[in-house]
Amino acid sequence: MLEIRNLNVKYGKIQVIWDFSIDIKSGEAVGLFGPNGAGKTTLINAIIGLVKPESGKIIFENKSLVGLETHKIIRAGIAVVPQERELFPFMTVEENLRLGSAYIPVAKNRVEENLEFVFTIFPILKERRKQKAGTLSGGQQRMLAIGRGLMANPKFLILDEPSLGLQPSLVIELFQKLKEIKKTGMSIFLTEQNVKQGLKIIDRGYVIENGRIVMDDSSINLAKSEYIQKSYLGV
Amino acid sequence: MEKTNKSLKKTLIAFIIFLIVVGIWKPLALVYGIQRGGLYSLIGLPLALILGIVGILNLAHGDFLTLGLYIGYIFFNSWSIDPLISMAPLFFILFGLGMVIYSILIRRVLKAGHLNQLLLTFGISMIIIELIKIIWTTRPRSVYTSYASSSVTLGNMSIGMYEFIYPAMAIAVLVILQLFLKKTRLGQAASAVGQNPKGAEIVGINTNVVYLVVFSIAFGIIGVAASVMLPRTPVFPLSGNPYTLKSFALVAMAGLGNLNGILIGGITLGVAEAIVQSIPGYEGWSDVVFFGILIAVILLNAYRRPES
Repeated sequence: MLEIRNLNVKYGKIQVIWDFSIDIKSGEAVGLFGPNGAGKTTLINAIIGLVKPESGKIIFENKSLVGLETHKIIRAGIAVVPQERELFPFMTVEENLRLGSAYIPVAKNRVEENLEFVFTIFPILKERRKQKAGTLSGGQQRMLAIGRGLMANPKFLILDEPSLGLQPSLVIELFQKLKEIKKTGMSIFLTEQNVKQGLKIIDRGYVIENGRIVMDDSSINLAKSEYIQKSYLGV
Repeated sequence: MEKTNKSLKKTLIAFIIFLIVVGIWKPLALVYGIQRGGLYSLIGLPLALILGIVGILNLAHGDFLTLGLYIGYIFFNSWSIDPLISMAPLFFILFGLGMVIYSILIRRVLKAGHLNQLLLTFGISMIIIELIKIIWTTRPRSVYTSYASSSVTLGNMSIGMYEFIYPAMAIAVLVILQLFLKKTRLGQAASAVGQNPKGAEIVGINTNVVYLVVFSIAFGIIGVAASVMLPRTPVFPLSGNPYTLKSFALVAMAGLGNLNGILIGGITLGVAEAIVQSIPGYEGWSDVVFFGILIAVILLNAYRRPES
């Protein structure tokens, strides 16, 4: 479904992503783990066209994404939940959600149905539907950002550090929700520092350090790996 | 949400009390102030729209207004078309001009940082002023219409009637803009872009199209303001120039993205100016009061909301 081949990304003279290749199949949940500054967010920005890669290919459903504007990539069926959430703070929860569908060809005629789906996954959003997004707590804003992404009926959902800044009990709840979303057959690409929780919902994972892939295995093998246990799970 | 509603109500109540007090104390100043404030608001709205959604401070704002005045003057002088009728073609001419200016200049500096944006629009301002001097010379021109000097006498006051068109148009433009932003697909996209451009791209909005349309609509409104002003305004190369700073002052006072505040702020400043001008011997102080109130409001806002 998504194929990245030999991707190199630079900010000015500093190279952030080195010769990066990855393959994600339809219906698969793939994780990308690594410390701060490893290049996880840069990779996502390159996929959705916010950063222009230096070289390499990004192919989504046999169509090259390199050079396309962000809104076109999103309309092609990729939804992204950014680390900074990027909500519309002076609009209500419901308005934020509706905007998630409004400009996507496949979603704009299914707004009510999508709202219903998001509200069953995140009942708190239904309770707060008339509240301004800027007044929600961090955890609720994260759920709203995920909900807004789901409103687009994406084939491919990208989540950038969904657990960042959430209290531990909320993190567990959030990953429970992500499991439900995964059951609908959506492909998921997830970056995380919280490897322990991340491993629970993914099928396969990559470990990225200093812009290079250092490991690539199934979630079961990753959980067993000595390197992962030492560096990320603190065992 | 309740909090913003409450503070809006408070502002509105204070505003109405202010108007009533002025109305009892100096009724003439109230009338003049509402008329002039209406004009400030009408001219301030397009600047607020561009600054709030496109994020560009257009220092050539007032000079495009001057350009509009000259185009309206040509319509009147060459084809004897009344300014209030040439409002429609003027809207579309400036709309088109906005599209051109955006596409060939503004689009290139969107990510260039504030200083470059200011330099660009300042340069545009100087080019327009000098072009006007070359084409039309500095000789002031004016348009005479019979209705522009009509007045009505109330008790011992004689009030110009035409100027009531300023607040009326300001309200009309504001209502239409709000309907556009709330009810249309493109308008909702524009609100979204104004609040978070990156978020807007992420939900599939083509921000470049939104910027182009908003910029052009704002220019169209400048055209409307120019034709409404024309019957009562002498036309010379700097006619519109002072309105850049006044419009910016209004936006600073109302806060970004607060279009209703432009109307309230404009009328408040207009009335305050009119009060000062009604005191014999102190007419020249009106600008001091205008910017004095502006500074006071900004300080008050900063004090009230230390966290933002």
